Formats: sequence, structure tokens, C-alpha cells
Amino acid sequence: MIRLENVSKEYSADSPALIDASAEIDKGEFVFLVGASGSGKSTFIRLLNREEKPTTGKVYVAGKDIVGLSSWKVPFLRRNIGCIFQDYRLLPKRTVAENVAFALEVIGRPKHVIDQQVPAILDLVGLSEKSHRMPDELSGGEQQRVSIARAFVNRPLILLADEPTGNLDPDTAVGIMRLLDRINRTGTTVVMATHDRGIVDTMRRRVIELNDGHIVRDQSGGQYR
Amino acid sequence: MIGKTRFLLAETGQNIWRNIALTIASIIVVAASLSLFGTSRLVANGVANATQRWEGGIEFVVFMKADAEPSQLAAIEALLEESRGRDVDEWTFVSKQETFDEFTEFFADDEELLGTISIETMPPSYRIRPTDTDAGAVEALGTQFETKPGVRTVVFATEVIREIQQNASKISSAALWAGVALVVAAAIMILTTISIAISSRRNEIEIMKLVGASNWFIRIPFMIEGMVQGVVGALLAVPLLSLARKYLIEDFSESDTLRLLEGFRVTDGEFLATSLIVIALGTGVATIGSIIAVSRYLDV
Repeated sequence: MIRLENVSKEYSADSPALIDASAEIDKGEFVFLVGASGSGKSTFIRLLNREEKPTTGKVYVAGKDIVGLSSWKVPFLRRNIGCIFQDYRLLPKRTVAENVAFALEVIGRPKHVIDQQVPAILDLVGLSEKSHRMPDELSGGEQQRVSIARAFVNRPLILLADEPTGNLDPDTAVGIMRLLDRINRTGTTVVMATHDRGIVDTMRRRVIELNDGHIVRDQSGGQYR
Repeated sequence: MIGKTRFLLAETGQNIWRNIALTIASIIVVAASLSLFGTSRLVANGVANATQRWEGGIEFVVFMKADAEPSQLAAIEALLEESRGRDVDEWTFVSKQETFDEFTEFFADDEELLGTISIETMPPSYRIRPTDTDAGAVEALGTQFETKPGVRTVVFATEVIREIQQNASKISSAALWAGVALVVAAAIMILTTISIAISSRRNEIEIMKLVGASNWFIRIPFMIEGMVQGVVGALLAVPLLSLARKYLIEDFSESDTLRLLEGFRVTDGEFLATSLIVIALGTGVATIGSIIAVSRYLDV
């Protein structure tokens, strides 16, 4: 599903963000990216949805080389990749349902599809009752659920999560992880960058550890360390 | 398709509403610049129409009565021939038929007026180019004809007409350049308005990109917003031009007689042409401004 071949990324010459990284992630896998701040986790994720291009090396997603992808095709790549972030990135002036619908509207989905899929996904994330609330009326955990609903409503092949529990208390974080686990079990590949030792150690999934831009560990059923 | 269109229109509406003060300012600048530009064209048309009869150094026209006897015409012609080379440099006769043709062409859009005239009611006239163009000399020569039998009136190339003729290119080119400068300002204004709209919506744009909205889907609302500013501004410029046209005609030809004789006038056809040019220019400028703004500030 995802393959990195000798990928390096330099934002500036003296401090490369990723150095000669190679990894292969299969369909339906759940992978934790761990490492200190600045170790290259976010760069790893940003390379997968073509927010960044590698300085050298190849990135394949769903069998396609996405480095050479022409810019007009990038949106079609991203329709297969959902993204969630530590800061949720919801639109503050839209309701929960509108935030989720937005993701379908902007890719031109017809209204009847939106009317059917939005309630279904809100039900999945447990927010049916709050579909008309504004984001600022929700707790952090609920906002992250909306963001997951938005990322998943289009049924992407891959879900990229950059510190999704970074702003949440441990109990709420567990709830979010259960949701991601459930999504993963539908066959969606999940790549999650995290600092959360507890979560990694509990879930026992594949762990890719980064240190100063190098992949220093790639272990299935791994722990945070 | 309907859903897409509705979404794009709703987005455009929201953009405009959030940015309403700047949008209004842009529209005003567009309207002002285009009306100035259009007015320069109308002035040029009016001047050309008014001075058509006075081209080639014609200083005064002797209008005969419509029912002037052939003998009275012959007397005038004899007098003109006699003065040729001395006071009169050149003269031409304009027959009833020629006057009628000129009239019907000129007032083609004024059916009411045309309904009241016929070839028979048209005054034949003599257009005279004197040797001495000094105002006093011209007047002295012209007034000699006023008292001749069969003469209705003598019309001089008035100071106003002369001044307009001499300054025609200055007036209309000054207005034109001011208009052009303002059109450029309008384009920059639209560009700025859109760049502000883009930056005020950067969160939405970021999310649109992340969920895979196509580049055009992101750009179109901003482009429509710019074009709305251009088109609305242009449409506002048309009534302003209409006011300018009315003002010009009233100012330069206060009475009906003068209007007919001096003909400072912009025809409906000329007005329509200028309006269409103004609308096309407004749309064009807005399109260019929008394209520059989205390609410069919307990194999709």
C-alpha cells in the first residue's frame, strides 16, 4: 500500500528531516511512528499525501509513484488518504455535520450521497446527537471524533494521523484509539505519529522509530521503548 | 453537477459577504474608472459629430429658408463667387436632399424628430471657408449674408465648438489616460480584495486541499468573486455614462435649435458601443485580476 525507497528530505542543507528512509506498509496495517520531536515523523506523514516531495528517493502509494505525480492529479491521490491532526483543524463557523459534509462537497459528491453518508459516519464516531453543534461547543475528544469522521467519510484507503491524541487526556485518548482501531479493522491502513507511550505499549502494533531523520527500528507488535 | 454548482455559488456568496466592505470599494473603483474611460469615448464621439460640419476650416454656414427662391440662391452664389479669392477662400453648397440625408443619418435613433421633417422642410445651406480666420473678420463677413433675401440664419463655428475642436484630443485623451490609470487601479484593487479573501479563508483552503478538492474547485469561487466585482462595477458604469451623455448634450447644446444646428450629440448606437466596450473591459480586467490573484496567492 505504501512504500518508501531510500527517501531523504532536506528543508535546509544542514538539517535533513529524513535520511535514506525505506519502509513498506501493507494494506490494512496499523503502524505507529515514534520518536522525539524533530525526528522526522511529521515529514514522513507529509510525504505520503504529497504535502512534501522528497529531495531524493521514491514514494509509492497504492502502487503509484507519487513523487512524479503532476499537480492536477494530487487531489485525486488525497481522496484516498484521510488526515487527522493534533489540533483537529475543524472549521469553527460550521456545525459538526457541515464540517463532515464539507469534505464531500468539495470533491463534488452529490447531495443525496452527502445526506446519506454524513449521518452514517457521525453515528460511527458516536456524535449523532451533536451533529448540529458548533465545534467550540464540543470537548477536545469530540472535536477529534469530528475530524476523524471528516477524514473517514470518503472511505479512504489510508488514514494518516499526526499526534491525534496529543491534546487529549488519557481516557479520551483511549476512546480515540478505539475508534482508529475500528476504522483499521475495516481494512483501512492507519499510519499514526505519536508520543504517547501508553497507547503504543497497549496496542502492540508495528512500530517504526525515527531518530534524527533515520529509521532506527521497525518492529511488529512493538513497544514505545 | 447541480450540487457542485450550488456549493461553488454558496462559497462565492460567503466570500463576498465576509469581504463586503472591500468588495464594495472595488466595485466603486471599477465603476468610476470605467465611466471615466467611457466618457472619454463619448466626448470623442460628441466632438466628432459636432465638428463634422466644421471640418476643413469651415468658419460659418449660411442657412437659407426652406422655401428660398432659386433666384435668391443664385444671388448668394453670385456674391460668394465675387468674394472668392478675396474674403472667401472656398465654399460648398449643401442641397435640401443632402441636408435631409445628413439629418436622417445623424438622428436615426430619434424617430419623433424624424417624423416631423421632410426633404421639403430642410434648409439648403452654404458652408464657407474664409481667407481670414480672425474671429472679427469672420463675423464681419458672415453678417453680410444675414440680411440677404432668402437667408434664414448664419451659424458661426462658435467659440465653444472651436475650443472643443482644438482641445478635443486633449480632453478625450486626458480622460482616457485617467480612465486607463483607474482601470489599472481597479485591477489591483480586485487582486488585493481576492488575496485578502484567500488569506481569510486559508483554513478552509487547507482542508479543501487535504480532502482532495481539485485545484479548480478551490480557485473558482475566488475567480467568480473577482468577476462579480468587475461585472457589477461595469454595469454600474453604464447608468453613470448615461448621465454623462445627458450632461454633455445639455451642456453643449442648451436649446433645440443649437442642438440641431451644432449637433453635439452622441447617438444611441455610439452609446451602446461604448457601453458594451465598458462591460467587456470590466469583465476582462476583473478576470485578469482574479487569475493573477489565484495563481499568485492560492498555492494549490
